[in-house]
Amino acid sequence: MASHPANTGQDRDHANPPGVIAAFLFPALLVYAALTALPVLRTFYNSTHLVVPNRPSEWIGFTHYAKLWTDAIFWKAIWNTLTWAAVAPVLEVAVATLLALCLYAKVPFSRFLRVAWFTPVLMSYVVVGILWMWIYNYEWGALNTMLRAVGLGSLAQPWLGHPDTALASLIAVTTWMWTGFNMVVILAAMSSLPSEVLEAAELDNCGWLAKLWYVILPLIRPTLLNLIVLSFIGKMKIFDLVWVTTQGNPLWATETVSTYVYKRAFQWSTFDLGYPSAIAVIWFFIVLAGVLGLTALFRQQDKLEY
Amino acid sequence: MSARTIAVPVSGAGLRMAALLLLIVVYTLYSTGPFVWVAAMSLRTTTEIAANPYGMPWPAHFEKFASAWFDSNYDTYFLNSVTIVLSAVALLTIIGGMAAHCFARYRFRFKSALYFLIFSTIIFPPQVTVIGLFQIMVDYGLYNTRVGLVLVYVSIQLPITIYILEAFFARIPKDLFEAARIDGYSEWSIFWRISLPVAMPAIATTVILNTILLWNEFLYAVVLITEDDKRTLPLGVLRFLGDQLEDVGMIATGLMIAIVPVVLIYVFFSERLIQGMTAGAVK
Repeated sequence: MASHPANTGQDRDHANPPGVIAAFLFPALLVYAALTALPVLRTFYNSTHLVVPNRPSEWIGFTHYAKLWTDAIFWKAIWNTLTWAAVAPVLEVAVATLLALCLYAKVPFSRFLRVAWFTPVLMSYVVVGILWMWIYNYEWGALNTMLRAVGLGSLAQPWLGHPDTALASLIAVTTWMWTGFNMVVILAAMSSLPSEVLEAAELDNCGWLAKLWYVILPLIRPTLLNLIVLSFIGKMKIFDLVWVTTQGNPLWATETVSTYVYKRAFQWSTFDLGYPSAIAVIWFFIVLAGVLGLTALFRQQDKLEY
Repeated sequence: MSARTIAVPVSGAGLRMAALLLLIVVYTLYSTGPFVWVAAMSLRTTTEIAANPYGMPWPAHFEKFASAWFDSNYDTYFLNSVTIVLSAVALLTIIGGMAAHCFARYRFRFKSALYFLIFSTIIFPPQVTVIGLFQIMVDYGLYNTRVGLVLVYVSIQLPITIYILEAFFARIPKDLFEAARIDGYSEWSIFWRISLPVAMPAIATTVILNTILLWNEFLYAVVLITEDDKRTLPLGVLRFLGDQLEDVGMIATGLMIAIVPVVLIYVFFSERLIQGMTAGAVK
């Protein structure tokens, strides 16, 4: 992070010519202002207006926000997304830690395995979504085929078609996709641990489980927490996967905030961009609070340096 | 006591190794199996797949790729994706490189604040930008244009690009710049002829990372592009899915067309790509 003190003393600083600095920063700041800051401000503005095509926006105060309180789909979407953002990071990081330990134990082909396990995260959600729609297919999908092969055919079901299993099935997809990514990061953190610490634990005749629990995990804790925050942010944004597979169906069981905003803004013929903007603004603050809350919680627990 | 401490660890270790290897094999099948499956299906006809979804791709129907490419507009989608992604990546490298160079090398007022402002956008949920962006693109006449999508792609990848490059530029020794200045280099040529070449490894990382992420991008494309001849590959695949829901074999071929470039990049640059993807997570 850039944290040099601002150079306030010398206005005519030969080493830091203001004109040159401005020129170097200008394109990036222009892109930032026009395509990030302005859209965000516009969305905030929308949220207190009725925004209909070919008519000037009409100020309606906090009507949209008030309507949100009674919008059952909105609450369902919030609930689904929060569930996703709470469950997936823990799953991903836990499984990834186990996998990283496997490779840390110097098994054969560990370099190849690391590269292979990382692969799913490189695919677009469109590809992954279609692929998993087939895996979850009732008649010939890989999951049901395997269940039937081991005599558990009674458990076979249309995984994405049933309200009780749809969300869990999609969470499993993101876990499949992101675990390898987390594993690579955790493995890097483990590999950079000082070997003396581990040798000391070895000398103390520490069992491997104890070594893991009392030595390795506490040392890589900052990395684990960082990954949890990152995964949390990613899941709060989730759109593509849902859009490709279920579009929020069945019965809003997989509706996320992103898909609901998209539907209200671009699909339902309400033509009003104000209401979805209000959802986006609320969501912006929820994400912000979530990230700040998690960071504060983790920092408080053991004075982490982020 | 001593007998137990000798006997138990030996058999325990063997058992543990076996369990470990089993776990590894199962997880490898789980994480890569789906791709092997879709690769096999991409070479088989839908009739063959219907008869046995898990069969081997013999005889291999390579002609399916030609027919997806020419008959289903995949040539257009592919070309659109290549043009849009490469333009965005080129712009990102220049614009992001300039800003990162500036942050790493000069001292100025509000530097930390500006850096924080740009970097904080990585936590923004896209919902909060996408509606405003849609309106702005319509106002500027950039809606439904490839140029518009390129600019949006530059804006979404800019923070991470600056972040990775700044970290690298900051490690270039100051003496190098001083020497260049004494030799009469202008500030621009210091950037162009020293910073950029020296930072080639970091630039390569951001180029590969941005290429993959933008190649896969979906949300902004689906909001900003509606005309078929401007669609990128992910949109094309989805349109194809909508049109040919039952034609599993052809959809698999379409998926492979989208996957192959990514796999090729990964085969040649796996370490760099992993480095780039995890740059935000590793401290």
